[in-house]
Amino acid sequence: MASHSVIDELKKTQILELLDQEKRVDGRALDEPREISIETNAVPKANGSAKVRLGDTEVLCGVKIQPDRPFPDMGDKGIFICTAELLPLSHPSVETGPPQPHVIELARVVDRGIRESHMIDLSQLVIEKGKSVVGVFSDIVVIDYDGNLFDACSYAATAALLTSTTPKWTMVDDKPTIVNGEEIPLPTTTIPVSVTMGKIGNHIIVDPNGDEWDSMDARITITTNSDGNICALQKGGNDGFTQEEVVQCGEISVRVGAKIREKLKEAQQGSR
Amino acid sequence: MDNKRKYVIPGDLVTTGPFRPEQNVLLEGNKIISTSIGISEIYDDSVRVIPLTGKYIPKINDLVIAKVLSHTSLSWELDINSCYVGFLPAQDVFGRDFSAHADELTSKLKTGDLVAARIANFDRTRDPLLTISDRDLGKIDSGALVQISPSKVPRLIGKRGTMIQTIEIATNAAITIGQNGWVVVSCESTEGLLKAKKAIQMVDEKAHIANLTDQVKEMLESESES
Repeated sequence: MASHSVIDELKKTQILELLDQEKRVDGRALDEPREISIETNAVPKANGSAKVRLGDTEVLCGVKIQPDRPFPDMGDKGIFICTAELLPLSHPSVETGPPQPHVIELARVVDRGIRESHMIDLSQLVIEKGKSVVGVFSDIVVIDYDGNLFDACSYAATAALLTSTTPKWTMVDDKPTIVNGEEIPLPTTTIPVSVTMGKIGNHIIVDPNGDEWDSMDARITITTNSDGNICALQKGGNDGFTQEEVVQCGEISVRVGAKIREKLKEAQQGSR
Repeated sequence: MDNKRKYVIPGDLVTTGPFRPEQNVLLEGNKIISTSIGISEIYDDSVRVIPLTGKYIPKINDLVIAKVLSHTSLSWELDINSCYVGFLPAQDVFGRDFSAHADELTSKLKTGDLVAARIANFDRTRDPLLTISDRDLGKIDSGALVQISPSKVPRLIGKRGTMIQTIEIATNAAITIGQNGWVVVSCESTEGLLKAKKAIQMVDEKAHIANLTDQVKEMLESESES
């Protein structure tokens, strides 16, 4: 995808001509994301999981929770790590092998949105300070690609974490041991929602599909938390955004994000 | 003829006997074995399998719609919706007196451009050689690209071109069908364009249904009424 797929000039012209009339190729409004469907507990053996469809983009996220050694400088906090991977079946241009730069970026942007919003209360995930903490690993695979992986992966990871349950551990003989009993939900504080916007010509569009993704000049991903505050941002592409455009994007991300947050809440309640 | 047609999968024995193997079959001893999913057809002296799925396999003289992927100083590389990459030499476009120093390839065709081309040469040992030096070939400047399965192309054309004529007459669109499953539709009215695109996609989805021409005709007429 991204690096190898070439969009034909006719389609590119068509996209731009439609945007000049405030229209999009798939009939959406400029600030309208595609239809989102969230299926939680899609992987029965994981601590939490979610399958998200955003239009024709489909991703699956699984969460594994297990005791781990803390980072040396963060002995009083649990660990959160997020990875992402594109399956070769997701798009003709995806090949096996080491991850491409844009896939590394994908994992980093999703990770940052969750980390910087302080969604997971990592201070509650300590078994013994400096010795053993709880690690939360969220692994995302892309099953089908049609643009905007950032948001699809971000919603999948967030939905999976919101519905994750974790066992309790205590230290027995210097080793973390599971305390028998019920599993508790992962301690979360907020729901981060990322909104990716593309810039084609002078137009800002929300949630670009595959064709729009290939023809856009620049993109910006803004993550907001439940209070409507911006907590993470990533800009990509060769073109730039003017100051006004950045402000406009910020406003869109808060407004559109709020609606998507409701869907994530629904998914969370539906799984209980 | 009809009783000899059957669905086959790769490895299926189609028939035995002194037949000439044509497309998508292998001859092993006197057994003729299918190499793809499709419908086998046995003629008086030959056997072939019409594929139901699969990528486009280039054939000499086929008209294809191609997309420019990149270029070197001597040639362009084109996506022809195949497992092979199309190869268009610069001399074909600039003429015999092409000079790699003086002529800039991007001045004629650049990445993302669509061209109507013909397969000039192909023998499976090298990438297919394309040509655009003929009437009606060359860069496509307007229209919309519709992608269908290459195995459904004969259905889209129909018996003696009936299907495509039906669509063209009903929508007033000019349709160029590449054998590789890429179709360019151009029409002056947006309505006609959308209708033609819808009809082409309908053929792609319902290629196995009998009387499809009538169904398409019906759809086109009902659309124009509403």
